[in-house]
Amino acid sequence: MSSNIIMRTLRLLSLIILQVLVFNNMHLFGFITPLVIGYMLLCFSHDTTRVSLLLWGFATGLLHDMFANTAGMAAASMTLVAMIRTQVADMFSPRDAAEDFVPSVTTMGLGKYFLYALLLMTVLHTTYIMLNTLSFANISLTLISIGSSSLTATILCVLIDIFTHPSRQYR
Amino acid sequence: MRSLIDFIVKTKHWLVFILLEAVSLVSLFSTTGYPRSVYFTTANGIVGATYDVISSITSYLNLQEENRKLEATNQQLRQQLLHMQETLDTIKGDTTQRMPSLPTRYNLVHAQVINSSLHKKHNLMTINKGEADGIRPEMGVVCSQGVVGVVYMTSQHYSIVIPLLNEKSKTSCRLRKSEFFGSLIWKQGYCNIAHLNNIPRHAKVQKNDIVETNGYSDIFPAGLPVGQVQQIDDSDSGTSYMIRVLLYVDFTTLREVSVITNFSSQERQSLETEASNYDDTNDNTYSETRNNKAKETDKSKDSQKNKTTTPST
Repeated sequence: MSSNIIMRTLRLLSLIILQVLVFNNMHLFGFITPLVIGYMLLCFSHDTTRVSLLLWGFATGLLHDMFANTAGMAAASMTLVAMIRTQVADMFSPRDAAEDFVPSVTTMGLGKYFLYALLLMTVLHTTYIMLNTLSFANISLTLISIGSSSLTATILCVLIDIFTHPSRQYR
Repeated sequence: MRSLIDFIVKTKHWLVFILLEAVSLVSLFSTTGYPRSVYFTTANGIVGATYDVISSITSYLNLQEENRKLEATNQQLRQQLLHMQETLDTIKGDTTQRMPSLPTRYNLVHAQVINSSLHKKHNLMTINKGEADGIRPEMGVVCSQGVVGVVYMTSQHYSIVIPLLNEKSKTSCRLRKSEFFGSLIWKQGYCNIAHLNNIPRHAKVQKNDIVETNGYSDIFPAGLPVGQVQQIDDSDSGTSYMIRVLLYVDFTTLREVSVITNFSSQERQSLETEASNYDDTNDNTYSETRNNKAKETDKSKDSQKNKTTTPST
């Protein structure tokens, strides 16, 4: 249990460092800024309670906000993703999945994991970017930014998952 | 209580979610800068719209009071209107207000028609002002619509006027557009129709042309409206036009008139009299009616018999 918390904390800090120092400065083509901190919520096991998910999501978002001066945007987005994460994970998990089932490329397959990650990343980026712009003016550019950032973040999450194999290392 | 606790336990993730979202959004919108300004703009918009709805509802509820106030204002305005109309009617008695085309240098004596005939061959009109008011024979009488006639006889406080509706009346008039002139005469019959004869056949006359005085006489100044062309006929001789003129003045309801008291020029009269004496053309109608002292005396002595004297203009 405590090792789980330590691992999660380490993962959280790694993701925050990666996000703040690398991905927040990317601005690919001027409008792609992937939020890889969303990966934090992807790899919780099925038996994690919703309150726990919410707290982890909020904490991740809050840390990002503190370092990136985004004042609550990431916290609100991550809390929303944490809220819906259980239902989305159930949609893409096998029916006979164990209680400690951890969504990953190895356990779900690349296709399902990609869709699972894409759906959650889309929700995350939609919330984050809409809270950032707070306007429907220039909506086409906003939608392009949401779509491309979500896709990029999903690809990055899949790559991170493949490289870290979370299902084998910890639950 | 237990069910409440059960409910809270069951939905605790919702409560946590709402709490965390609230914390996030409060921190987002409480920071200065763009989100805060958007928040206040939107909030002001929502509050404004709400106040708008509330205001429309309360204004509807206050309609009865508004109606009462409007009715009171209406009543007040109606009274003011009546008062203004009364004032206007009083002002209308002043003929300087009623005859805008008359130059202001002429003195006008306001009078009222106290008797008139319309259907005789030689209609006459009595007005309630006379010599005491400065009225003398041969003075022009006008009203707000136009020319009425010429003063024929005067007493101390009354005067007899020969209106246009008299077969002996003969007024020199012209057409305003083309300035061709002729004599306006009246034939017994209609009390709103006169005839302008001696208009040459080459004159361009159109229906509704305005007929006005031409100023050749010393009775009326030029340009006073008389009537308008109603029909263009040939004269009996066929050498000129006989124009049927619809008179502006409604003699059937004529009440208020004005007498022009200072238009006649003594110098002009004496010059014209002198010229007529020199030519010894006593058959000229105008010379018979000059302000000749001898004739004036005769007139006053035998005024009733002197009806044949035409106040020719």
